[in-house]
Amino acid sequence: MAETIIQTRNLSKRFADGNLALEGIDLDIYAGEIFGIIGKSGAGKSTLARCLNLLEKPTGGEVFFGGESLSTLKGKALYQRRQGMGMIFQQFNLFMQRSVLDNVRFPMEIAGFARRAARVRAEELLELVKLGEKADSFPARLSGGQRQRVAIARALALNPRVLICDEATSALDPETTRDILALLRDINERFQITMVMITHEMQVVQGVCHRVAVLDQSRLAETGPVREVFSNPQSKAAQALLLGEERSAALLLQFLKEKGLSLEEVLSRV
Amino acid sequence: MYEFAQMLLKGLGESLYMTLSSTVLAYLFGLPLGILLVVTEPSGLAPRPWLNSALGLVVNSARSVPFLILLVAVLPFTRAIVGTTIGTTATIVPLVLGAAPFIARLVESSLKEVDQGVVEAALAMGASPLQIVLKVLLPEAGPSLILGSAIAVTTILGYSALAGFVGGGGLGDIAIRFGYYRYQKDTMLVTVLLLVVLVQLFQGFGMRLAKRSDKRL
Ligand SMILES: Nc1ncnc2c1ncn2[C@@H]1O[C@H](COP(=O)(O)OP(=O)(O)OP(=O)(O)O)[C@@H](O)[C@H]1O
Ligand SMILES: [Mg+2]
Repeated sequence: MAETIIQTRNLSKRFADGNLALEGIDLDIYAGEIFGIIGKSGAGKSTLARCLNLLEKPTGGEVFFGGESLSTLKGKALYQRRQGMGMIFQQFNLFMQRSVLDNVRFPMEIAGFARRAARVRAEELLELVKLGEKADSFPARLSGGQRQRVAIARALALNPRVLICDEATSALDPETTRDILALLRDINERFQITMVMITHEMQVVQGVCHRVAVLDQSRLAETGPVREVFSNPQSKAAQALLLGEERSAALLLQFLKEKGLSLEEVLSRV
Repeated sequence: MYEFAQMLLKGLGESLYMTLSSTVLAYLFGLPLGILLVVTEPSGLAPRPWLNSALGLVVNSARSVPFLILLVAVLPFTRAIVGTTIGTTATIVPLVLGAAPFIARLVESSLKEVDQGVVEAALAMGASPLQIVLKVLLPEAGPSLILGSAIAVTTILGYSALAGFVGGGGLGDIAIRFGYYRYQKDTMLVTVLLLVVLVQLFQGFGMRLAKRSDKRL
């Protein structure tokens, strides 16, 4: 079977205010797969993502990256491991006072690349995300989709083995979402970079993920291949997520019926 | 008339000398202090709650001393460093002491404006706290820091005029010696006007520079 690249064992996180955000999480994420983590708002998804690269220090259990436990690492050793994982965010989090090129160059500056080598690689990465001509622009001048492309290029700069995406498409419109997801899938296939997709949207999981974990109230409700979980959900949480979708679809159909329209008719017009 | 103009010019030069060198020196202390205030916060990059409270206390105490009292209180200290307690160079000592804690707070508030998400992104890339301060916090806060420095310069200019009371030289000195002790209202008016113009210039320049440097606009 495939190599496990990220593993958590009995991972828990209790915040200083007593809030238990994660409880007994056991995850095995395989090298090269796109792994979805889905759940309602407040379920603990972001906390889980942040525990994977120890941005958040777990209060219990362990996180392994490439077989090595991260939980005890500190300082330089930890910074170095983080360089092996890229991360992108819902709000893009670009450096607003740096040009697009300098944003992509940043991780290489941190890691001590030679200036020229960093520049060449940054330019290549911008070509990869189809933003070559925006190298000298500043993030404020870019659209949301373009900003996320810059963030992706930046996250790939150090050749990470894993890319953690926390709601990477949640601030984007449906069409841009499709573009970004297609780009991520393409990167996954071409470079075998493992992806962890945190989302609350079913379409994201259905669109690109191989396997999915359902997070519900700080706990893992269910894990499995996307098709299995979606066609035959075992947990209440997964059923509720699916049902939510079905209910919206039912409501939409009823609305159309009341207006005397058919779905085909509407779709042919858009 | 010519002598008057010359005196004003000399006063202007002294005021600028005091203000600018005090600002530079005060930033030498205030900037690191402001950075420390941000970084050592409980939710900061290198949390040291104890050190943070201590620094906060020192800064607040220093800031609550009225400048005129500070001016007199540090006279022995000034003599020890500069060798004299009168003249423009001697005035720089209390100016720096008075302005550094104020600047620390200005820097602190500028750095706190930086989007936490951007810091998080840098952390996720494996940047160390020092790298984040130097390569993220300071550059991202750049325009705000420039605005802060305009406030610092104009405040220090105001303090330096106050230093005229203890023979500190500069425009404040002239305003007090001629306008206050000798009742030459015109002299006082002209010096005050000069101070107003200086404040306008510094503030305007700072705002323009901040705007030009800001890539978000
Ligand atoms: N720094 C913090 N201190 C205390 N509680 C926190 C902190 N960060 C998150 N929490 C709490 O932990 C729980 C999980 O939060 P988290 O951000 O992981 O949820 P999420 O699943 O990502 O939600 P969303 O979909 O809204 O982003 C929430 O109850 C939240 O209030
Ligand atoms: Mg979240």
